[in-house]
Amino acid sequence: MSAPRLSRLVAPAVVLLVLFGLWELVVRAGWVDELLLPAPTQVAQALWEDRSLLAPDLWTTTTEVVLGLAASLVLGVGLAVAMHLVPAVDRALRPLAIGSQAVPIPVVAPLFVLVLGFGLAPKILIIALICFFPIVVNLSDGLRKSDPDARKLLRSLDASPWQRLRFLDGPSALPAGFSGLKIAAAVAVIGAVLAEWAGSESGLGHILVTANGQLETARAFAATALLIAEAIALYAFFAWLERRVVTWEPKA
Amino acid sequence: MRKTLIAAALLLAALSGCGEKAEPTGGSPARQEPFTVMLDYFPNADHAGIFAAKAAGLYEKAGLDVKIQTPPDPSAPLKLLRAGKADVAISYEPELLLARDAGADTLVAVGALVQVPLTSVMALPAARVKSARDLAGKRVGTSGIPYQSAYLKTILEQAGVDAGSVKETNVGFNLVPAMLGKKVDATLGAFWNYEGVDLARRGRKPVILRMENLGVPAYNELILAARRESLDEAGASRLRRFLTATAAGHRLVRDDPAVGVDALLKADPGLDRGLQEAAVKATLPVFFPQRADQPWGWMEPVDWANYERWMRANDLLKRPPSEAPPLTNEFLPGEGLGASARG
Repeated sequence: MSAPRLSRLVAPAVVLLVLFGLWELVVRAGWVDELLLPAPTQVAQALWEDRSLLAPDLWTTTTEVVLGLAASLVLGVGLAVAMHLVPAVDRALRPLAIGSQAVPIPVVAPLFVLVLGFGLAPKILIIALICFFPIVVNLSDGLRKSDPDARKLLRSLDASPWQRLRFLDGPSALPAGFSGLKIAAAVAVIGAVLAEWAGSESGLGHILVTANGQLETARAFAATALLIAEAIALYAFFAWLERRVVTWEPKA
Repeated sequence: MRKTLIAAALLLAALSGCGEKAEPTGGSPARQEPFTVMLDYFPNADHAGIFAAKAAGLYEKAGLDVKIQTPPDPSAPLKLLRAGKADVAISYEPELLLARDAGADTLVAVGALVQVPLTSVMALPAARVKSARDLAGKRVGTSGIPYQSAYLKTILEQAGVDAGSVKETNVGFNLVPAMLGKKVDATLGAFWNYEGVDLARRGRKPVILRMENLGVPAYNELILAARRESLDEAGASRLRRFLTATAAGHRLVRDDPAVGVDALLKADPGLDRGLQEAAVKATLPVFFPQRADQPWGWMEPVDWANYERWMRANDLLKRPPSEAPPLTNEFLPGEGLGASARG
């Protein structure tokens, strides 16, 4: 890592340290009940002491998130391309896609259980339901915003809709698609927690419920810290992938 | 030679055995029938007897392959039971009566898991609530469940407190945090055997007022419910064996609470051993009926009728009472066709 990149980490580190310091102070001074808000050091302690408990749960949740994201990627890209190629599909499905985001999970969770049982399947479905939307919206908007002059050129060359998608709309929509994917990565973790609240035997969402029920707030915060780390890691992965794939965009 | 003869005889016996009854389970020695139990919530001390029975192999001995399932939310078990996704669901007496009122009148309570209300009025010492009378002018947090709000109304009436002076706030499932954060003075809805035990263990000295001492009619907090249509001869036999084994599981826990706690922690390692053990011990007396001549799981029809009448008086039920009774003791250990006459 070069010196300028290292120096870029100084500012966020200082902000974090100051925040944690204030937080620690507020709890240690007894301004907030520690059963409601544990100090950062107590959370760190819970992370370390409960590591053998948290590790399998982290693995469960990560599996759900990765599979759910993969499902939403397939669903999202498929839907966006179909909506782009066939305007009737866009008109027919867009209201449904938007409406799907308003459906509260507790309403549909018992139905998912009824159809899919209690295993991994309903969790993946809930994550996919939450994550496919930013992918569809960003990608389908991106597909529409290709260069009009290039579109005219392709038309004059008698390009088929597939060729237009392959050589123009697709590549030019990639940055928008990646934006959708990065949003999806961040909310996938919340999707997994919601899915696990709707009945589960393991996972970080499951441990949140049991820890909350037992007033083990430090453990609940430790699980939350892992969820945050996972969301950041997924985001960073897709940002890295974007830099590798979209090489023609000027770097921000 | 002798050995070969014995081996041949055994083989023959095994072969003839296979021919006699072709079991779908194949080579397993005893037939294990699948049986799904839907919990009311995540595994906790209330389920100690069930997990103990499973861990001790009592269900297996009864020929049942019992699967214990956590529901999507506490209101889902009866829905999933009705849809045939479970053989038995754990629910609450008021929830069952509400489900039946909503048209699910083939659902029936077949046993009480916890005999008395666990729901309680709870307050921390700073709120200075020592009796129902002290609720006058206070803020009371509830989960917004209509029948629990009706409990509060009944409690205030019984204590002669003007209901208008009490401010009820819906705090969802955050009953204890709302008290700790001093957003409310007292709560109605937390379980005395769980949140109450937890707070006491943490030295917070909660004041706990139990429903049965405040004028709310007696009810079974947790019940086991089944579907009448699935109780044909084979279904009734499975249910009887399940209830008998579950009763035995509760006796194991009574003899040694650690058996139940070990089984619970095996099912969910995230549970706190100390808390679960304290909660199991606190719940032990109410896992069993008060009278020694009543079998485990006994439900008192008179109490059920009183409670249902109270629900009607509070406009919680809309339809006229169903022909089919909401409870039956006939599947409990020692009860049956003849004995059920006393119920």
